[in-house]
Amino acid sequence: MIMLENYFPVLVFVLVGIVFGCAPIVLGWLVGPRRPYAEKNSAYECGFEAFEDARMKFDVRYYLIAIIFILFDLEIAFLFPWASIFKEIVSSESMKMFGFIEMLVFLGILLLGFIFAWAKGALDWE
Amino acid sequence: MEAQFLQIVQMLQGFFGPVWPLVYTLLKIVGIILPLLLCVAYLTLAERKVIGAMQVRLGPNVVGPWGLLQPIADGLKLVFKEIIVPTQASKGIYFVGPALAFATALAAWAVVPFSEGWVLANVDAGVLYILAITSVGIYSIIIAGWASNSKYPFFAAMRSASQMVSYEIAMGFALVCVLMVSASLNLSDIVHVQGKGRFVDMGLGFLSWNWLPLLPMFLVFLISGIAETNRAPFDVVEGESEIVAGHMVEYSGMAFALFFLGEYSAMILVSVMTTIFFLGGWLSPVGFLPDSFVWLAAKTSFVLFLFLWFRATFPRYRYDQIMRLGWKIFVPLCMFWVLVVGIWMMSPLNIWK
Amino acid sequence: MDLKTAIFYFLATILVLASVRVITARNPVHAVLFLVLAFFTASGLWLLLQAEFLAISLVMVYVGAVMVLFLFVVMMLDINIARLRQGFWTYLPLGAAIGLLMLAEMALVLGGRYFWLEAMPEPAAPAAGYSNTKELGRLLFTDYVYPFELASVILLVAIIAAVMLTRRIRADKIHQNPREQIAVQRNDRIRIISMPSEKE
Repeated sequence: MIMLENYFPVLVFVLVGIVFGCAPIVLGWLVGPRRPYAEKNSAYECGFEAFEDARMKFDVRYYLIAIIFILFDLEIAFLFPWASIFKEIVSSESMKMFGFIEMLVFLGILLLGFIFAWAKGALDWE
Repeated sequence: MEAQFLQIVQMLQGFFGPVWPLVYTLLKIVGIILPLLLCVAYLTLAERKVIGAMQVRLGPNVVGPWGLLQPIADGLKLVFKEIIVPTQASKGIYFVGPALAFATALAAWAVVPFSEGWVLANVDAGVLYILAITSVGIYSIIIAGWASNSKYPFFAAMRSASQMVSYEIAMGFALVCVLMVSASLNLSDIVHVQGKGRFVDMGLGFLSWNWLPLLPMFLVFLISGIAETNRAPFDVVEGESEIVAGHMVEYSGMAFALFFLGEYSAMILVSVMTTIFFLGGWLSPVGFLPDSFVWLAAKTSFVLFLFLWFRATFPRYRYDQIMRLGWKIFVPLCMFWVLVVGIWMMSPLNIWK
Repeated sequence: MDLKTAIFYFLATILVLASVRVITARNPVHAVLFLVLAFFTASGLWLLLQAEFLAISLVMVYVGAVMVLFLFVVMMLDINIARLRQGFWTYLPLGAAIGLLMLAEMALVLGGRYFWLEAMPEPAAPAAGYSNTKELGRLLFTDYVYPFELASVILLVAIIAAVMLTRRIRADKIHQNPREQIAVQRNDRIRIISMPSEKE
């Protein structure tokens, strides 16, 4: 229960943050003028009508970056618990080598993937 | 003074009864948010003044003495501007973008410790919470870009999402090194660990902070922080010469102001984080001065000044260079440094006992 | 009803509503955004179960990374609703079967008591200074070392698959090499020559 009490202010803060995020829009809506006309409400372009729908297909590279990001994010999520007990690992004689090497293996395997992605040009941007 | 304060608290407690914890929390939250908003307002002024000085200009100096009322005038002007909703935009989601930008930039402040014991939520996994909330911030830009249904915002959203995502990896790895030496995910504990060591006993506290032993990670974190908040020189998201104002093109009035507030509060947040992780938080740099909140404020201001300084100094990066820096330099460097810190801590030279 | 229960019902209501909207929303982008909301509230529920690390990791990994990819994919697809409708009846039997299977599994889990599953005892109250993350680390790096290393292999396979699936071979690739560009020295680009001044 100790932990939950700590998180209660976080929940309240998130809710207050949402209120603070919405309040200015409501305020601006109430106070500001509203005089729309077709030109004003059209999409921003270089002075002419938009040719096509703005929601177009884009380079596959962006997907690739997103996928590789997921994998590295997971890796970091795995590293966090390890890093937070690393001092304990170091201070205990029996665990010392084992705790270090298992993370070395983990990082090594992922490094292979990273090198592969690099070699295949997945990280290039032309 | 203290007794009076306690008396007032007790009186209020009696008045509100069972909802008192909620009211007290709300009061504390307002106590964080209002000064923060003030800081944001004056950061915009400071930015214009500092960059003005660096470019041998005066900066704003008309509204109020030394232009001190300028941010308030700007704010008032934005309130009275029309909020334009483009015809082709997705109406509902269109407003979620700016609201989220500001909400996430605020929510992360829940776990920030300002001084010894001055923390709203002293949660155990504070580092993780900050990382999680900042990663939610990406949505505001993606949503804004998509909901505007216009080409410039859309390109900006794609660029920005990829950029922020890439630098989050570098940030995460830099934090792994900090966690290894401090053995805790709690922000206050991370500061406490920096207040121990040989140099502290010699009265030279600033040499025992994390920035020195983890110097490469400090630089990686600082640079990633700038990239994460889309500040110059990594501001291709809103590079005027390429995509006008990026995801904010279609927004006006208070909707635009929210993006602006979000960006600046995120900047202050990153500076405070840098201070807590690497510059010893509220710890005093030398032995004969007491630790206090003033140090945190001073260090944060220094990091913020760096942000402004970089903006005035460096030309904008090209997008492929940004991605190269994030993936091909920072990620390998961070992995290597995790290894270095690991070996260092295993060796007899370990300084983090 | 104490505060904890109230918060549970608050979050659970949002979670259920958001999940319903995920499958009923017409616009796929809206569906993904409701899914994000669902993950967010689910992480709140995990927090109530005191699974601190997992709850925040859920936000970091799923909301911060996986759903960004979902949004990328969904935002750019030309999803033709009419064509999706055509497949409805052909896929209905399969979908219904999977739905029933999941329903049965849920029933087994929730009614575990009636299906010979021994009730788990209440976990002991954590001692002071208990850290969820550290506890998880201790377990993960001692008892569950092999699953942990296996996870890295799975991630490796995923990286390779992602790179191979999206690899495009383009002959007309125009490539800039930032490393060369950065390594350029002054002498590579300019040549200072001394020339005697000339008179017309």
